[in-house]
Amino acid sequence: MDDTILLETQSLRKEFGALIAVDNVSIRVRANSLHSIIGPNGAGKTTFFNLLSGNIEPTSGRVIFKGRDITHLPVHRTIHLGIGRSFQITNIFPNLTVFENIRLACQAMGHDNFRFWQDASRFKKYIARTTEVIELVGLTSRAMTLARALPHGDQRKLELGMILAPDPELLLLDEPTAGMASEQVPELMALIQRIRLAGNKTVMLVEHNMNVVMNVSDAITVMHQGQVLAEGAPAEIAANKEVQTAYLGGLYRTVISNQ
Amino acid sequence: MQNVTEQPSAKAMPLLKRAKDNFGSLVTLIVLAALPFVVALYDGQSLSSLLANEAGSSKFVQGFVIEILILGIFALSYDLIFGITGMLSFGHAMFFAVGAYLTGIMIKSFGWSLWATLGLVLAAGVLQALLFGIVLPRVKGITFALVTLGMASVFYIVIQAREFGEYTGADVGLQGVIAPDFLNPSTQRLRFYFIVVALTVLIYLLYKRFVTSPTGRVCVAIRENEGRARMLGYNTFYFKLAALTLSSITAALAGALHTLHQPIVTPNVAAMSFTVSALLMILIGGVGTLNGALVGAAVLRLLQFGLSKYFSESASFISGAIYVAIVLFVPYGIVGTWRLKRFERQKGWENLLKLMGVGKRKE
Repeated sequence: MDDTILLETQSLRKEFGALIAVDNVSIRVRANSLHSIIGPNGAGKTTFFNLLSGNIEPTSGRVIFKGRDITHLPVHRTIHLGIGRSFQITNIFPNLTVFENIRLACQAMGHDNFRFWQDASRFKKYIARTTEVIELVGLTSRAMTLARALPHGDQRKLELGMILAPDPELLLLDEPTAGMASEQVPELMALIQRIRLAGNKTVMLVEHNMNVVMNVSDAITVMHQGQVLAEGAPAEIAANKEVQTAYLGGLYRTVISNQ
Repeated sequence: MQNVTEQPSAKAMPLLKRAKDNFGSLVTLIVLAALPFVVALYDGQSLSSLLANEAGSSKFVQGFVIEILILGIFALSYDLIFGITGMLSFGHAMFFAVGAYLTGIMIKSFGWSLWATLGLVLAAGVLQALLFGIVLPRVKGITFALVTLGMASVFYIVIQAREFGEYTGADVGLQGVIAPDFLNPSTQRLRFYFIVVALTVLIYLLYKRFVTSPTGRVCVAIRENEGRARMLGYNTFYFKLAALTLSSITAALAGALHTLHQPIVTPNVAAMSFTVSALLMILIGGVGTLNGALVGAAVLRLLQFGLSKYFSESASFISGAIYVAIVLFVPYGIVGTWRLKRFERQKGWENLLKLMGVGKRKE
C-alpha cells in the first residue's frame, strides 16, 4: 500500500427529485488499498458506486480517477480506463456458458469487435485470457455450464471473473456476498483478497454487514442518509459512537425526531 | 429468449465434424439441387425440355421453391435483429418493400441495368438501417417496435399515394416489370432457381459466420442482457446498428429478388401483415436459430398453398389454428425444439441400436 490517491471524489452530489441520495461526498481512495463503504439501508452506497462507474451522472461534484476527470464518462468508457464494477444483484448472461460470459468480457478489451467475417474462436488471445480468468476464480470445471445453471455462489464468482477479465486497476464490488450462504462468505472474501494482493489492485467494497469488512479493510467510509458519517481505519470505525448509533439506533432515532 | 444459438467452441472444428454437425443443411442443399431434375424425371419430362424451361411440374416446383427461399431470406434477416440481437421491429416489411419497389421502378421507369439497380438497392438497405438507427439509442423494446411501425406505416402510405402513382402504381402496385433476359423468371427459370438457391446458401453462411463472429457474439450478449454488455465496455449502439444494417441489406435484396421473380409487386409487401409473417416464420422455425427461419418459410408457404387448395375459403381460419397450435405446443419452434431435445434423441437412438443388438455398449 502506498500513498498515491487512485480515486477521489469532490463534493459528489446526486438528487433524485427531492431526494438527495448522495450528499457532498468527498473521499480519497489510496492505490492498492481495500476501501470499504458501509452504511445502513438507503444510505446511498449503491448510488455512490453508480456515480463512480458512470452508470448515472451526478448532479454536481467531480470524480477523479488517476488524475483524470471521469465525472461525465459513460459506463462503457470507464471500464476501458480500468474500473470494473459488480452489482448487488447478479448481473450475468444467464443463457450463455461460463466460458462465453468471460470470453465476452475479454473480447471487450480488444479491437476485434467488428471482425464479423471471422469466427470468434480464432482469436486465441481472448481464449487464453478467458481460460486464465476462469482458473483464477475457480470455475474451470464449470466452464461449459450455462451461467443460469450455476449455484448462486458460483454465479458471484463468475461475475467477479467478468470484472477481472480486462485486468482493471480498481474493482468496485457492490455487496459481493449478497445472498450467499454465510459459510461461503469467507471463501469469497479470501478470493477477493488473493486477487487484490496478487494483481496490485485497489478494491472498493460496499457492504451491509460490518463484520465482513472489519478484518480485511484498510480504510472504511461509513455513509448515512447520503452523507459521510465517519471515515478511518477499521478500529477507529468500530469505536465510533456515531457509527454505532447509525447502525443500531439510527432508524429509531430518526423516527422519534420526526414526531 | 431461449438459448438455441450455437456457442463457439474453444477449438476449431475439423472438416469432417463440421460436415456432421451441418448434416441437415447439407442434405437440404443436395435436395434443393436435385429437386428440379427429380421432379422432371417423375413427370416424364426429358432433360432437354427441362433445360429449355418448358412448362411442367418441375417448372412449377422451381417457382414455388424460389418463393419459399425469398421468404426464407426475408425471415432470416428478421431473425438476425429479433432472434439474435433481441430488437423487436414492426417495420421490417419496409426493408423488403424498399428493395422490391426500387428494383421495379428503376428497371421499369428509368431503364436502369440490373447491376446498377442492385447497387442502389444495397445502398438503400444501408440508408434504411441508418434511418432506424436514429432512434436506436433512444428507445428500446416495445417503444422501438412502435417507432419502427410508425416509419413503416408512413412508407406504406407513401407507396399507395396517387401522387406517385406514375412510378409506384399506387394501390394497385407495380405491374409489368420486365426482368433482364438472362434472368427472366419465365424463360430462364432453372437458371434463376439456381441463382436464388446459391444466394440463399451464401446469405445463410454469412449469417452463421456473423453469429459466431466477435460482432455476433456481442449481439447475442445484447439480447441476453444489454446493460451488462455495456458494462463490459461495449458501446451497444454500434453492434445493434451493425445487425440492423446487415438485416436491412438482406431484406432489401430479398425484395429485389421478389420483383425479379414476380412481375407484380403489390403494396402488401410493405404492410404490417408482412412483418408479422416474418415473425410467424421464425416462431414456427425457432427464434434465433437461423435455419429455423428457412424451415419456417417452407412450412408457412406450404401451409398457405396446401390449405388454400383443399379448403379454399376456410384456409385462413385453419392456418390460424395451426399457428396457434405450433406456438402452444412447440414453443421453441421446430428447429429450436429439435436442438433442445438433442440429448433425448441421442438416448433414444442408442436404445434403438441396443434393441437391434448393434449398438456399442457404453458402460
